[in-house]
Amino acid sequence: MMRLGGIVVAIASAAAIAAPFFLKPYGIFLISTWAVLTIAAIGLNLTLGYAGQISLAQGAFVGIGAYTVALLTPAGVPFFVAFMAAGLLSFAIGWVLGYPALRVQHHYLAFVTLAFSTLVFLVLRNEEWLTNGIYGIAGTSRPTLLGWQTGAARDFYFLCLGVLALLSLATWWMLRSPWGRAFVALRENPVRAVSLGLDTRRYTLMAFAIGSSLGGLSGALYAPLVQFIEPSSFTLGLSFNLLLMVIVGGSGNFFGPFVGALIAVLLPEWLRVTQGYYLIVYAAAVMVMMAFCPAGVLGLIERAGGMLRAPPKAAGAFTDGAAT
Amino acid sequence: MTAVLEVTNLRKAFGGIVAVDGVSFEVRAGEILGIIGPNGSGKSTLFNCVLGQLQPSAGEVRIDDRLTTGMRPCDLNQLGVSRTFQLLQVFPQLSVRDNLILAGQEHQGSMASRLFGRADAGLGDAAGRMIEFFRLSHLADEQAGSLSYGQQKLLDAAMAFMAGPRLVLLDEPAGGVNLTMLGHLRERLHAYHAERSATFVVIEHQMEFVMALCTRVLVLAEGRLIAEGTPQDIRRNPIVIEAYLGH
Repeated sequence: MMRLGGIVVAIASAAAIAAPFFLKPYGIFLISTWAVLTIAAIGLNLTLGYAGQISLAQGAFVGIGAYTVALLTPAGVPFFVAFMAAGLLSFAIGWVLGYPALRVQHHYLAFVTLAFSTLVFLVLRNEEWLTNGIYGIAGTSRPTLLGWQTGAARDFYFLCLGVLALLSLATWWMLRSPWGRAFVALRENPVRAVSLGLDTRRYTLMAFAIGSSLGGLSGALYAPLVQFIEPSSFTLGLSFNLLLMVIVGGSGNFFGPFVGALIAVLLPEWLRVTQGYYLIVYAAAVMVMMAFCPAGVLGLIERAGGMLRAPPKAAGAFTDGAAT
Repeated sequence: MTAVLEVTNLRKAFGGIVAVDGVSFEVRAGEILGIIGPNGSGKSTLFNCVLGQLQPSAGEVRIDDRLTTGMRPCDLNQLGVSRTFQLLQVFPQLSVRDNLILAGQEHQGSMASRLFGRADAGLGDAAGRMIEFFRLSHLADEQAGSLSYGQQKLLDAAMAFMAGPRLVLLDEPAGGVNLTMLGHLRERLHAYHAERSATFVVIEHQMEFVMALCTRVLVLAEGRLIAEGTPQDIRRNPIVIEAYLGH
């Protein structure tokens, strides 16, 4: 199974590298969007899927990251520094946003983060001296790294893909370390976790801060990708879209965000032939999906794989007395 | 004998209901103390107050002469105090092995070293030994949620022992466990007790289990301590019999 998984990841990576050579500029723009939004979805998957803390503010962190880069780079700050600043700022704000999660959970926490999301939108729109309000900020330039100019669509896509690869590896490392186990414990049984010496307070704040910083880093690439940002790009709509990616892909599954983001970016394009109906079809597809497979696309695949692999096992209850 | 745990005038009220009403007792090093009492007599509330899951309304808790009233459960656990729960409290989606590693990992190194260190926090072997000790080897890589009730109960106990605690509070470890499994659990508890000279406090309804395990028994009724003695004394005590059978 591990081998099979490795092969699938290798093929998917090869496809991601080869894809821009076969696509028109708009296609490259779409897969770049996929790479950028996947980073934010990985962050939300960490906060929600692994640590079990619902957040409707991930889109706001993408906005914070995007504005950080869009404001710093014209002032002469190197892109790499602005990129790190976006991550650090989102980490700090995410840490603070984690505090309500220490007191409230589930839908109450959803409301707190929803309010935060609205707050960020209002700041972006009303603080014109800083953000230029509804007129937005145009022309965030794409960086040059060690002589490599990423101005062209394909080059910038590879930058996004490279950042995605690095951040995925870092996240994968973290999730297989004791931290990953602690995050799952936080989701599954916080009362038991704290009685086993887990400082649940610190892990909860960490889950929020790291998840949010990935949102910020995603935004740091989003600004130079679209080259025009405005407050309405980062409203609740984006947060819901990111939530959708996590859930449709498979919440709490490492590869869920990759699949979910791909579906969320591509499906509306494929459904464009249905013209005005595409949102309706899209929404219906999501509803059917959630009703029949709440574990997401990858959950569905795993279930199918499990059925093919092994016949049903004898139930554990029968081996009870014979525990030798 | 020194007191490992000392509870003084502990009181916990939920609104107008006084669940624990001025309870004082001490637990001596190395003993297995039983706490029995009818449903709703305040046993679990007492545990939750001692272990920081609930804040007591009044009174003091001392562990090794150190005032611990109001400390967080995770900090108490770091002092070597561990517990099991009345209702099943394992992590169903983690494997048996990961449940055990989790139960010990926060006692290894610092938060930063755990991020950059080994995935099993260096506890793979210790978890394996604990799995063997509780005879769960054939289930080591199964998800905890797929185990039978009795097996999860054993895992729950194993987790409480993973960090090598000196004081373990067991809340109805025998509840809902079949007789074969129960004998097995008792044997495991005795073995750990002998091996580590740990101190146990056990809440239990199953009288045979209490009689076989405990050296001293406290009886709680309506939030108050009404009797104390050896298991044999308690069994004959008319006050205890009345508390159980009603007025």
